[in-house]
Amino acid sequence: MAKAKAIGKLDCQAPTGEIARLIARIRLEEMYDWTQYVGSPYYTKELHNLRIAAKRLRYTLEMFEEVLPEHSKDIVEELTQLQDELGLLHDSDVLIALLRLCLGGQESGTAYQKALAHVEKQKRKKKLMVPPELVASILDPANTPSAEERYGLEHLLMQEQHIREERYHTFHEHWRWLQKQDFRREIVHMLDQF
Amino acid sequence: MPIDQSPVRGAIDIGSNTIHIVVAHSTPDDLDILDDEVDLVRIGESVTTTGGISDQKRDETFAVLQRYKTLAEQLGAANILVVATEAIRKATNSSTFLEQMQQETGLTVHLISGDVEALLTFLGATYETVKEANPDAPLAVMDLGGGSTELITAHGPHITWLTSIPIGSGWLHDRYMPSDPPHAEELVAARTFLQGYFQEMQVQQEVSTLIATGGSANSLLFLAQHADFLDASVHHLTIDALKQCESLLTSTPAAAIAERYGQPLERTRILPAGCLVIQEMMARFQLTEIQVSPHGIREGVLLAYARYGEQWLERLQEEARNMCLDKPEAGESIPLQHDETSDNSAYNKPFARSGQMMLHERLHKLLDWRDEVLKQEDSEAVHKMRVASRRFRAILDACEPCCDARRFQKVYREIKQMADLLGAARDTDVMLQKLQEQHEEVPLEEQAGVAWLIDRLETYRKEKQRALEKYFGNLDKETLKRRVESCLPKGAQNDG
Repeated sequence: MAKAKAIGKLDCQAPTGEIARLIARIRLEEMYDWTQYVGSPYYTKELHNLRIAAKRLRYTLEMFEEVLPEHSKDIVEELTQLQDELGLLHDSDVLIALLRLCLGGQESGTAYQKALAHVEKQKRKKKLMVPPELVASILDPANTPSAEERYGLEHLLMQEQHIREERYHTFHEHWRWLQKQDFRREIVHMLDQF
Repeated sequence: MPIDQSPVRGAIDIGSNTIHIVVAHSTPDDLDILDDEVDLVRIGESVTTTGGISDQKRDETFAVLQRYKTLAEQLGAANILVVATEAIRKATNSSTFLEQMQQETGLTVHLISGDVEALLTFLGATYETVKEANPDAPLAVMDLGGGSTELITAHGPHITWLTSIPIGSGWLHDRYMPSDPPHAEELVAARTFLQGYFQEMQVQQEVSTLIATGGSANSLLFLAQHADFLDASVHHLTIDALKQCESLLTSTPAAAIAERYGQPLERTRILPAGCLVIQEMMARFQLTEIQVSPHGIREGVLLAYARYGEQWLERLQEEARNMCLDKPEAGESIPLQHDETSDNSAYNKPFARSGQMMLHERLHKLLDWRDEVLKQEDSEAVHKMRVASRRFRAILDACEPCCDARRFQKVYREIKQMADLLGAARDTDVMLQKLQEQHEEVPLEEQAGVAWLIDRLETYRKEKQRALEKYFGNLDKETLKRRVESCLPKGAQNDG
């Protein structure tokens, strides 16, 4: 998860209404920095970061709700929907990554070693979709799946990949609609109002 | 002194929809009501449309107050106390309106805050209950209004918590179920919204008695009695009676119901929404019935005056201020201030001061979930605490430039550690929930694989629960609170 963009210098004695707008604009830019990946369905990390950035913007609008125009609530609703769609996508990505690791790592010998090496490499790069502790727990050599269990896992993986495609499609359609509505401008306009 | 020899006083409340009067013999703990009247003036309608109180509404209010004043004097009232609430608070011309009312009627109209309103409602709605056998029983009062709901919990007469929820029957009707009668999908959406909202609401105590007051609750009781869903002598609404009311209200146009049962059409239109709010509040408290009280603010005013005399309002304001120091709020909105109502003052408040208040409130909200997570009774507790931690971090991020860097980093690291632990547990819960649902649905030959993964994830989840227990077992809440408080240096909070 990408760290939140620093707010930078603030006049702490400035009116809360002004600061709220300043912070919201930073969070808005942060969110739009990730939107270049919207059309790339398999940039899973980046789409996850977009989700986190949308969430940060949403929380900012919510925490300063009292000093923002009423319309901020409609924007919060839209952001919540976006965040939910990306959340479901992320859930699928995590499960798919986990299943791939299970299926790649449960055979003894080379494949197992490869899976562990892959995890170690990704861990060093901090690119893991699944927490290393969870991987270690799942890839317990004392609890490998039987052939029948592997069959079920294979099917589960295929099914989840299909679900993931649908989820991405839902999100993507929603995003295109937001683009058509000029959602970014709508937010900027709301922040310009008092 | 026997109650019928105690002084007679009148109390009038000017609300968004109605103006009410009650005239009664009053003691500090009891009332003997001589007369009670209500007029539907709907000042709120004018305020919502134009921002101010129109001349027509002002004249109607004036006429009602004159009539009420005469009534109270005829019944021998030594004092007539008048309070005004939400609609007048919001009106752009409230000062002029209050002055005119005083000049034209000779009555002083006190504009009270939302918190004082909640205290008065509580006093009025419970004075009969607390006289009963178990006066210290945990109870709650919900005052369901058109635009908001006041919720107060207490042990007998001692209030433990109060909050104002920005959901009222009028609001829910306008936003989620405007059709007449409401469509099935509108009902589903409204119910889903309420369930989500009330689930997030962290009530400070469970209660065995819920007393509902306000126009919608009383109208629903009236409807249930007159439609034969309840015996006419009972003053409580059961969940079954409410479901029958819902069924009637959602299958019959409001005009037909209004005509059949002699109820105002405007009230009848918003009753389906009121019915849902009450049902979901009952579900939140796991109750199957509620008491309905016809009493509220005005009875509270009479009791408060009998207790504190001329200082009644100052005493209540002080009490409300003291309660607000620890008052958690429901839902997502964070009030930046408690004692003022002007949006401008919230806007202009120095950020360092608002930030301090938000940090304080959100930290409390976050830490309040600790025990629930450890108890493991509510499967959503981990999720809710994780969300609370994210919200708290969002405020930390916003406040960082005003904070002492070293202290801030320390707190930030600690909250991040907590959030990471909660995140690992929650993400596993999400996968488990999904797999458990799928396990039932996949063909038999694929079930073994799903079961294997569930088993592995459950083992991992137990490890995460142990880690959470260890972390929270060592967490000193008071130390963390002090650390957070000290992040914003005192100088940064000085707003002159």
